[in-house]
Amino acid sequence: MTALEAVSVYLPPVRIPVETLAGPLGLSGMQVKLFRRFHGLREVGRDPDASLYDLLMKAAAGLDALRGQEHRVRYVLYARTMPVVGPYPVNPLHEVCRALGLGHALAFTVTHQSCASGLLAIDVAGRLLAGDAAGGQQHGQAEPLALILAGEKAFTREAQVFADTTIFGEGASACLVSAFGARDRMLAYAASVRGDFDSDTGANDARLQREYRPSLAGVMQRALDEAGLTLGDISVVLPHNVNLVTWQRMCVLLNFPRERVVLDNIPTSGHVFCADVFANYQTACERGLLQPGDRYLAAAVGAGGGATFAAMVFEH
Amino acid sequence: MTAQDAGLDGEFRQQVLDTMTTVLTRLLDRTEPVTEDMRLMEELGLSSTFGLELLLEVEDQLMILIDVEVMDPDQMKTVGDMATFVAGHSRPG
Repeated sequence: MTALEAVSVYLPPVRIPVETLAGPLGLSGMQVKLFRRFHGLREVGRDPDASLYDLLMKAAAGLDALRGQEHRVRYVLYARTMPVVGPYPVNPLHEVCRALGLGHALAFTVTHQSCASGLLAIDVAGRLLAGDAAGGQQHGQAEPLALILAGEKAFTREAQVFADTTIFGEGASACLVSAFGARDRMLAYAASVRGDFDSDTGANDARLQREYRPSLAGVMQRALDEAGLTLGDISVVLPHNVNLVTWQRMCVLLNFPRERVVLDNIPTSGHVFCADVFANYQTACERGLLQPGDRYLAAAVGAGGGATFAAMVFEH
Repeated sequence: MTAQDAGLDGEFRQQVLDTMTTVLTRLLDRTEPVTEDMRLMEELGLSSTFGLELLLEVEDQLMILIDVEVMDPDQMKTVGDMATFVAGHSRPG
């Protein structure tokens, strides 16, 4: 069963208030007020001196479980919101792999589900590793691992703000995944890929806004059903950091207590692309919200080129 | 449910409603007035983001804070529904 072996997160110490971003992003006074008052996005993290390579390396540097285990890493998956993050032929992923001693691993990017690609990467990593094991593993060999990286530089306007909905923050995460690990086992994964929300083909943003919460609730329920659980069995929800009001309203829709949704990072870090779920996992652990055996639910929505609603159930 | 049934201050609700219809008329650039029974989505094309902008303006003009975190947008069918919610879920700002 796919398992999260270790998680490390880097969130830059420099915080930029939303008011400071208003000029460069061309936000009106009303939009700034909207972000601060209702979306709860007070500031976002930026690391102006760090490249994308630097961000990913800072996250990987905290992954102590990787030290001395590099030879076990068979796959490196980069979960990404934006299809393009640097000028060709620069490839931060391969640079990071080389620097970490993972040049032997098969490295590739997962980006087709935008901000929901982080959960997809966990599923893909587990499937690849399990598939290899089914094909035969040498006796006595340590269990192979996959490394999932996430996080981006907010270097274009599109990568900094999303249509009155969210503001992206810089940061990165690194997560080791195994196929049969004992802790933070993935119990279920559900995703709904909605090409009909592709704005390039004339999809209506208002319809996406209308169907956003019910669609996310639907996929969360599917994941719970697959795990044989109900929402009442869930200790905490790890959200994507789109904004506060979306999750406050999700709680109303789901009849789930707001205090059990890890919303701590939204006001200070913003939407850290695909790294949200890992950052919120770390926060949940640091706050003591997860005890051994607790079940929790991670949820994300990726919008852009369609929309993907995704949810994953874990046991800590 | 009427404002009275909901235990609301009818005068305040009317103040909220007047503010909302005025703001909506301006934001939507309408020549015809917005009325209490108009459906927010179907008739006025209000998205959730636009709805939040409306609430921000109402907060500013009436100097109140609205408890949006307990709002269920699915229950806000008409302009009047939203006015009732605001009147019952706000405090001086």
